[in-house]
Amino acid sequence: MRNWLWLALFAPAAQACELPGGPAEKLESPKYTIVYRAAPPLRVGGHFALEVAVCPAPSELRVDAWMPEHRHGMNYRPSVKDRGGGRYRVEGLLFHMPGRWEFLFELRAGGETERVAHAVRLE
Amino acid sequence: MKRAIVLLLAALAPAALAFTDAEKRAIAAHGPWPPAFAPDPSNRASGNRDAIELGERLFFERRLSANGEHACSRCHLPERNWTDGEARALGLARIDRNTPSLNNVRLQRWFGWDGANDSLWAQSIRPLLDARELGMSDVQVAALVRGDADLACRYRKVFGILPLKDEAVLVGVGKALAAFQETLLSGRTAFDEFRDALLKGDQAAAAAYPDAAQRGLKIFVGKGACNVCHIGPAFTNGEFHDTGIPFFIEKGRVDPGRHAGIQNLRASPFNLLGAYNDDPKRSTATGTRHVVLEHRNFGEFRTPSLRNLVLTAPYMHNGRLATLRDVVNHYSTISPDRLHADGEAILKPLNLSEGEAQDVVAFLESLQDAGGRYRRKAFAPDCR
Repeated sequence: MRNWLWLALFAPAAQACELPGGPAEKLESPKYTIVYRAAPPLRVGGHFALEVAVCPAPSELRVDAWMPEHRHGMNYRPSVKDRGGGRYRVEGLLFHMPGRWEFLFELRAGGETERVAHAVRLE
Repeated sequence: MKRAIVLLLAALAPAALAFTDAEKRAIAAHGPWPPAFAPDPSNRASGNRDAIELGERLFFERRLSANGEHACSRCHLPERNWTDGEARALGLARIDRNTPSLNNVRLQRWFGWDGANDSLWAQSIRPLLDARELGMSDVQVAALVRGDADLACRYRKVFGILPLKDEAVLVGVGKALAAFQETLLSGRTAFDEFRDALLKGDQAAAAAYPDAAQRGLKIFVGKGACNVCHIGPAFTNGEFHDTGIPFFIEKGRVDPGRHAGIQNLRASPFNLLGAYNDDPKRSTATGTRHVVLEHRNFGEFRTPSLRNLVLTAPYMHNGRLATLRDVVNHYSTISPDRLHADGEAILKPLNLSEGEAQDVVAFLESLQDAGGRYRRKAFAPDCR
């Protein structure tokens, strides 16, 4: 009984999933919370990177993006650097057109894959 | 009475068309102009005055061709917005593609119609070595620089040394040529004046922009969605598209466009991931590191800038379309059947009326600057 209480005191309240350093997008899926921020901020025709936090940490994260209405993705394949503890840096992204883009987060763990999409609009 | 006169005068004064907030945001994306200069970190000669002068001399240097008769300026003529007016360029032999303008070239991410180079200096090396263009070798370029006291002096002034390795001398020549081309920037246009006036809410100044151009601009950012690809201050997204222009060159030969461009980029010893990049951080190599080769790249060509395009006819990657009106008609009547089945679903016939097509041409013509910015200097062998 005493051990259970100990664990409860030190377990994160709702497993805080945050990115320090400013506002970020937060996505919820049945298994995961994803928080991400683009740097530099999104604009048409400029390379950008994503800082991503995923809770709980999957064994693998893949990130891509596409324009569903245009039926095409980016001209670049992003690379994902695992920084440990559910933190990632994704590099090499570029949105080359204005309009609606969808980020695609693919999370793998325990032989299962979960996909989370998030739409953004660029002018 | 006085109030009535003021109202009457206001009613008679020319006024800009009404633009929605969304249209204004889309128009704002095409400026400001001119952009500030930012040196290219991959080229230590970028922005260097001595390099610019050396590059300018080399640009007009006929000894930089295998027959001693051609220079970069054979195809890139200053008075034609740095193009040549030919459908397909003519160097030592006929080339498969139209000569692209060099105005605003430093703003590009990829260079050439197929983006086979990722820096302006690497792109400047390409025609020197192409047997159909200037037909030189690194050995010949290095021998010319070493053997000409003035060029050798200027080279040392820029780079400190004249390397023993021929290929390294060639790269220096490319970097000096790039430093010169970075100075080629088109001037402000009637569109730029309109854009700035519109954003400031200066109706009187905005009204000076011709009505036809304003209507054409509305189509450009609206019904035509031309700004999906022709976006940003230089009116290009810098990427590659299949626009339904046939890529057959002649019987048995096709131009693979971006598909070959990416492969050539990766194979080039002069790409930004290579040893000749002067930036140890490789800060401009993100695209090279991450670019992906796909089947749909076949027959894709880079979106050209639209600034000063009045002087760059004929148009498209192979000069197939003679006039701006032909270009507008192409997009007005394009058949989706001519596009890649697995490509982008962007283009569809715009079905413009006669008046709408004329308005779009009027808008495109308003992207012309006043001209006359470049003055070629008289060169003297006076390096000390």
